[in-house]
Amino acid sequence: MKLIITDTDISHIRIQGSHRIIRPQGEIHPCTGCFGCWVKTPGRCVIQDGYEDTGIWMGKCTELILISQCCYGGPSPFVKTVQDRAISYMHPDFVLRRGEMHHKRRYENVIRLSAYYYGQNITEREKETAQKLLSANADNYDAQAAGVYFYRTPEEMEDIVL
Amino acid sequence: MRIVLLNGSPKRKESASRTLLEELKYYLFEKKGLSEAETGEVGLHQAAVSGEALAGLGDAEAWVFAFPLYVDGIPGHLLSCLAQLEEACSTSRKVHIYGIVNCGFYEGIQAEPALELLQNWCEKTGCIWSGGLGVGGGGGLGQIPSGKKGQGPLGPVDLALEALADRILQGEKQENRYVSVALPRFLYKNAAQWGWRQMIKRNGGRKRDLGTRPK
Repeated sequence: MKLIITDTDISHIRIQGSHRIIRPQGEIHPCTGCFGCWVKTPGRCVIQDGYEDTGIWMGKCTELILISQCCYGGPSPFVKTVQDRAISYMHPDFVLRRGEMHHKRRYENVIRLSAYYYGQNITEREKETAQKLLSANADNYDAQAAGVYFYRTPEEMEDIVL
Repeated sequence: MRIVLLNGSPKRKESASRTLLEELKYYLFEKKGLSEAETGEVGLHQAAVSGEALAGLGDAEAWVFAFPLYVDGIPGHLLSCLAQLEEACSTSRKVHIYGIVNCGFYEGIQAEPALELLQNWCEKTGCIWSGGLGVGGGGGLGQIPSGKKGQGPLGPVDLALEALADRILQGEKQENRYVSVALPRFLYKNAAQWGWRQMIKRNGGRKRDLGTRPK
């Protein structure tokens, strides 16, 4: 299953196979840093606003695809907030990976992670940051970094097949 | 010189970001002679910047952001605030921006992408990126008793904050700097994991529940 987190209408993009799309549907509450998703309701965010199960969906997916406006070289506030609310994909305990401390796996699936950014004036520095961020996310999710792609508008993505 | 400290933690009261800003204030006030009248504090705890917060930024020459590292980057609510602050920056004079990132992992270097995001925000807004600090072992900041400044487990953090305070008051840039608390990594890891077990027990759970896989 492909899990797509997006802040925009992607109805014009072809998606092969089973998938689930998380997009703005009602207001999303930011992560409060309470760690309830680790120590109160392990695996699920305690804020019940419709976005509390993202970590569980991540545990079921083979691909995680971010489609987002590029904000300073990273995802938009909506997409980032969904990611923040899904740290329960990982176990709170720590392991060392490539000489750095990261969270232990909760699930066994290895995610293929990619990001499709749109924006009129994405700078070269922002593109470099986006690459670095995807690589860091892949390390933390113990995932496989698939690629980062840039477009001027969401409409420009019409030829891609996810 | 007027400096504004912006707390980007979602937590209003106790947070590692607050601890770091309080330590920075100690160096700005006690060691460098800055007065309270020359500093302002703004809380960016939610996704919207209040009118009061905007007014608090006033005519400051330097803004110091402190925030927790969330999924390798800036917390979503703070990103939203930064987007709103773009406008405030475009109409104001050039402000020096400094960033302090509290990283729950041991290695402060894991804050590098977050500091780059803040640097890129400066490029968009015309603010002057003046460098930052990534603090590893942030989970211990509120737990470790503060001893003599510059010594003990918090020593490296103190020294880095003192150096940052100096740069801020000089209106100078610093290269991004990354530090960790002076504890062996295994000890920090074990203490954190012991903490998770205590917390889940206090919530009526068992140790093994930490690894639950909800359907």
